[in-house]
Amino acid sequence: MAEAKKDRYEQVKRFEGDLSQCMKCGFCTFWCPVYQEERIESSVARGKNMMIRGLLAGELDYTKEYADRLNKCTLCMTCTANCPAKANIPNVIVAARADTVKARGLKFPYNIIYRWLLPRRTLFGNVVRFASWFQGIFLPKTEGTIRHLSMFLSALGKGRNIPQIAPRFLRQMVPVVNKPLAGVDTKMRVGYFTGCMTDFVLPELGKHIIDFLARNGVEVVVPRGQGCCGAPVFLGAGDFDTGRKMADTNVRAFAGLDYVVTDCATCTSALKDYAKFLADTPERREAYTRFGEKVKDISQFLVDVLKLPASAYQPSAEARGKKVTWHDPCHLGRHLGITSQPRQIIKSIPDVQYVEMPNADRCCGMAGTFSIYYYDLAKQIADKKVEAIKSTGADIVVSSCPGCEIQLIDSIVRNKVPVKVMHIMELLA
Amino acid sequence: MLAAKIISQLQKIAGKEAVLTAKEDLNAYSYDSTATWAHLPDVVVLPTTTEQVSQILKLANESKIPVTPRGAGTNLSGGSIPIKGGIVLCTTRMNKILDINKTNLTATVEPGVVLQDFNIALAKEGLFYPPDPQSFLGCTIGGTVAENAGGPYCLKYGVTKQYVIGLEVVLADGYIMKLGGVTVKNRTGYELMMLFTGSEGTLGIITKIILRLVPLPPASKTMMAVFDDMAVGGQAVSNILASGVVPAKVEFVDNFIIRRIEEMTPMGLPVDAKALLLLLADGSPAAVEAESAQIVDILKKSGAKEVKVAKDANEAAMYWKMRSAGFAATFGAAHTVMAEDVAVPRDKLAEFIRKLDEISQRTGFFISYLGHAGDGNLHPSIFTDIRNKEEFARAQKAMEEIFDTALSLGGVLSGEHGIGLEKQRFLKRAMDPVALDIMKKVKGMLDPNNILNPGKIWEEEA
Repeated sequence: MAEAKKDRYEQVKRFEGDLSQCMKCGFCTFWCPVYQEERIESSVARGKNMMIRGLLAGELDYTKEYADRLNKCTLCMTCTANCPAKANIPNVIVAARADTVKARGLKFPYNIIYRWLLPRRTLFGNVVRFASWFQGIFLPKTEGTIRHLSMFLSALGKGRNIPQIAPRFLRQMVPVVNKPLAGVDTKMRVGYFTGCMTDFVLPELGKHIIDFLARNGVEVVVPRGQGCCGAPVFLGAGDFDTGRKMADTNVRAFAGLDYVVTDCATCTSALKDYAKFLADTPERREAYTRFGEKVKDISQFLVDVLKLPASAYQPSAEARGKKVTWHDPCHLGRHLGITSQPRQIIKSIPDVQYVEMPNADRCCGMAGTFSIYYYDLAKQIADKKVEAIKSTGADIVVSSCPGCEIQLIDSIVRNKVPVKVMHIMELLA
Repeated sequence: MLAAKIISQLQKIAGKEAVLTAKEDLNAYSYDSTATWAHLPDVVVLPTTTEQVSQILKLANESKIPVTPRGAGTNLSGGSIPIKGGIVLCTTRMNKILDINKTNLTATVEPGVVLQDFNIALAKEGLFYPPDPQSFLGCTIGGTVAENAGGPYCLKYGVTKQYVIGLEVVLADGYIMKLGGVTVKNRTGYELMMLFTGSEGTLGIITKIILRLVPLPPASKTMMAVFDDMAVGGQAVSNILASGVVPAKVEFVDNFIIRRIEEMTPMGLPVDAKALLLLLADGSPAAVEAESAQIVDILKKSGAKEVKVAKDANEAAMYWKMRSAGFAATFGAAHTVMAEDVAVPRDKLAEFIRKLDEISQRTGFFISYLGHAGDGNLHPSIFTDIRNKEEFARAQKAMEEIFDTALSLGGVLSGEHGIGLEKQRFLKRAMDPVALDIMKKVKGMLDPNNILNPGKIWEEEA
């Protein structure tokens, strides 16, 4: 019995330091994007943490409401960044989600999507393709767009105006090994983690990144064995068992490569989070930690590893002469501390004017699964972002997270703002 | 448990979505920022209009259901904890700034406006609302009025009550009463507004507030002084005030807090300093120059080991952030932190600090303190563990000694946090018995069914 009890709180117990660090000062209410919309205590870190303490004290149980309050967090980390005690409540929330899944199980259709579909890359691709045939039938009738690709099937029912599924996926467009052009010295050999969005929806972006790297002396390997990063599965839904399978798959796929370059902030941070959340054995801890160290966001890779000269950053045709602003994805800025590198790249591009937006690091409200469960809330959070973008007078808002980009496209279209949303790499020729 | 009929009536009044009954939500309204108190409400209601508040109170009054008003729950007295269960009436969704009048230097706000949001909006107009409890990022203006809150700026600018010029209050029976107005001067009958300002939610629910404002000071300068002896630091504060300068803020943190903060957020603080004074001069650029020079001079003459003037806004902000994190720093230090809020006359500060040292030595409890040295308002904290009954009892005894010492020096029980639950067992010895009796009679008259924040301020007779 005692053993069973411990198991019930297994993951949360691992983050007891964070759990007890909160002093209940309530300063997080000012920073939490969810609290700012709802203004109820269960939205904010303090309230969620107290709820989890209540569970441990035996006052609460793994109810539907408990799971709901846990899910209602974008994991944007703004609370922690501004917490006087530096309490990392998002850690506790992810762990509590995992315990909740253990106790309650995953509900349809998420069990099918997370446990069966997402870990099978080819099948997933086919399903996405199949679903895309119905896009025109189901989607344009209501406003808004799909939130996360992993949510594709369930989101279909809700009806959204989503970016087109690409006619050919990236894995069908490029070879496994992409050598630098003839006459360019090979400086480095790196793996490219494509992420679901780039693979299925934005293959041209992926192709462009590979070409850019190849032109700058990088041999780019696109391992076929790679899969989804697992963010929606273990961070969003708390399904650590499936997450571990996905982690193992990716660690195996990139074995023998010095770096794993990504173009998606969420993927980057999820890949780096394997060790923190999913390591259940010393072997896995070791493997996940080493893997995490190899993972580099594309802007970080260009600036800190490859150390490209400013002259390497030339404007693409679409960026030339344009005013550009940058949105910090939470997973890049607060999770990984990468804020100066993308700005440095944009500022280096000749004939592009950089303008900083107010609260550039404020969460856009996407947060994957979060915006499926709480679409209205996600829209309200995004509307504040749109106001900030509007105030800059920029022609283009760039980011480095396809998740954020989908959210930005959705909200910009909904608010009828004439601004283009692009990935930072699309600014570059 | 409340009858299902009450819940459905509340839903009819405020809307389904504004009535929370899930255990998970009730749990989130069972606490405030204090360490030891907690009690679940039966239901939480989040009204958006005065009319809704009125109807909720009418219903509660007829059914004799306790109503605990709550803003953001950042208070430090236990005041917003629904100790008798019943309804938590939470005002966080009544958060509109209704008017900012630059020429009349006034603003009208709903109670749920967050203090920091208010000051951000005011700054855009070149205006400023000084009372600044250090929970300004979370606390609502309604809460600060109900608690008559103060903060660092109150040294020069005064506490909340000096800014409230008009209120709309819903009485226990649901009547919506208007008090005061938009004029700075108003001599019409008794000053009933002051009855509600600082009433800790026991007399009525504040639904609209008219505040006096001041122009945003165009310049400011932050200074930091290091002391080897806390009492010498206290004396330096008295010397500054006696010299004819009133700094905007004079704050005080002890060695324990300096080290804790440096641990949590390294910022290069002098970790071996016994005490730090943080001071701010503000006003016109010329006045700030002259005053800060005078302050630095007196600090040095009064025995400061080191005096630093912040080079720029960033350095200044860093020091003030440290100060606002002070409470959090103490709260993380032990299982149970008893943080108090006594205030002594400013010229007794050094003497009080020496006596605190004696108490610490005599009782064996480490006493950490931070606070508003400029107005004699200190927050001594005793670290203990409520689970250890014997030790906790001794800690309470030591805290009693601190209260008695403050009172014997002509001080008060609470400078700015209020009595709530936290300090009610000391109220009798801190107040004239006739005054206490009048308070109870006022309460009985305004709230005959005792539904408004029952169980607060004074101990109930058994």
